[in-house]
Amino acid sequence: MSEVILSIKNLSKSFGKRKAVDDLSFDIKEGEIFGFLGPNGAGKSTAIRSMLALIKPDEGDIEIFGKSIIKYRNSALQDVGALVERPDFYEYLSAYKNLSLLATMDEVPKKRIYEVLESVGLSNRSEDKVKAYSQGMKQRLGFAQALLSNPKLLILDEPTNGLDPRGMKEVRDLIRKLAQEGIAILLSSHLLHEVEQVCTTMAIINLGKLIKIGSVHDLLNESDTFITEIKAEPVAKAMKVLKSLTYISSIINSDGIFKVKTATKDLKNLTRTLVEAGVDVSAIIPRTSLEDYFLSLTGDNI
Amino acid sequence: MLIKLIGNEIIKIFGKIRSLLGFAALAVLMPLIIWGFSKGATGIEQDIIRQLGDSFIIVGSILNGFLVTYITMNFLWVHIPFLLMLVAGDVVAGEGASGTFRIILTRRVSRIKILFAKLIATYIYTIIFITFFVIMSLGLGSLWLGIGDLVVFDKGVLILPQEMAWARFALAFLFASFVMIVVVTLCFMFSSMVNSGIGPIIGAMAIIIIGLAIATIPIDIFKTISPYIFTSYFDIWQKAFFDPIPWVDIGKDVMVLSAYTAVFIIISIIHFIRKDIST
Repeated sequence: MSEVILSIKNLSKSFGKRKAVDDLSFDIKEGEIFGFLGPNGAGKSTAIRSMLALIKPDEGDIEIFGKSIIKYRNSALQDVGALVERPDFYEYLSAYKNLSLLATMDEVPKKRIYEVLESVGLSNRSEDKVKAYSQGMKQRLGFAQALLSNPKLLILDEPTNGLDPRGMKEVRDLIRKLAQEGIAILLSSHLLHEVEQVCTTMAIINLGKLIKIGSVHDLLNESDTFITEIKAEPVAKAMKVLKSLTYISSIINSDGIFKVKTATKDLKNLTRTLVEAGVDVSAIIPRTSLEDYFLSLTGDNI
Repeated sequence: MLIKLIGNEIIKIFGKIRSLLGFAALAVLMPLIIWGFSKGATGIEQDIIRQLGDSFIIVGSILNGFLVTYITMNFLWVHIPFLLMLVAGDVVAGEGASGTFRIILTRRVSRIKILFAKLIATYIYTIIFITFFVIMSLGLGSLWLGIGDLVVFDKGVLILPQEMAWARFALAFLFASFVMIVVVTLCFMFSSMVNSGIGPIIGAMAIIIIGLAIATIPIDIFKTISPYIFTSYFDIWQKAFFDPIPWVDIGKDVMVLSAYTAVFIIISIIHFIRKDIST
């Protein structure tokens, strides 16, 4: 059984009358790339800042490697690296100097600075002032500072914000690489495809509450809200067969292309039934992503 | 660890241009003032001679490095707090404004250690700044204009012999540094409460201006409350030039200023350790 690395227990936090996080509980286990998904304002950043002791929760507790962040902040953060929102640095100092200040706090040797700069591809620009860096380079430097203390848990809050598509891909590749090295990762994002592409497990929150949690694969498969496009002929015969199938909840015929709402797990049966009924199936394309799933969970229509 | 953190903070302070502005201002202003004195301060010299001429025989020039330093201290002491506040106001709030709290407060170092490192680094900056002021005023003034007896003005005119002047200046700068420590601690307290480097400067300046007004405007109600206001003790450094030195008064002033400093530090700590980092 995998060890629980981070445990959120009944976390609540309000700002004035607005409840940003409302009785949130979940665990992150060893080896997981945990997606923390929710729209802007869902409470992700508040929850993450609470995990890192930047914000004091009103209720509940957070345990990291079994240590309460409220009671034992310093030792709980011992093996944690974090990149919270924008990667802000002392812009008037070089990248090396910035990391050097942080290395002092982490009590790691100076050679570690070169290692992390190398791992994010910034070793040749280490003496440049951060103000001369592009957004993508700052983001990589943000990863470097998060990795400085050799963390076992990496908490990343919207790490691809403000990056161009190439920068986003680089960051995602880096996350996968770090996960392969055995670092557990919590990735907060409002970009559903990002979580879909990178994460193994995910929690969805909205209005501060946990809506769903589980493996990305299972959540996608268990839902009955996914749209699949089917190109089949003859059209009338195909429509008749589709209408007879009880596991399909809706069918739209659009110029010979059927958009059907069904669970992913039923797609094999669907294909077989159509073919056995003498319908020529030339394409079956799942069109629904996690985005649609998320919208269905938060009460919006697909 | 605390020493290393203080080192970090000093690197940050001196890495910013705003921290060097005060040094640049003094480096330009002090030679200018001393040069001005050397060229055309006959008015001041004649005024003093007129006052002293009936009682003393003046030999040589009374316009020396000591007098220039004493006069400069009198009028610059109003402006130096502002230069120091540029740094003290930014040292905590600047991290909030620039978002760098997110990289330093997510590490395994306690907030209180970080706050103390910032406070001590601010004090070190203050001491370095005043040392620079000493070099530029007393040092440069003595080299340029020479030294001699010191003429000081309080309730009347007092002449301190040259050999006594050095010790009096040492004492005056010590007390002046202490007053500046109180000023920067006040600004630091505001800095720990907000996320803007400007707010603490405005807040601290406002309090000092109001406090000095209460301490100096001769209204009965102000006279009643002025002993309880810390700005009433800001002239403690001038007491170093009294004869005899009023040690009892100075002791009382030091205690009041120390108490205020302690209160400012305690408020800073309470606020900072409970502060939610939302920037």
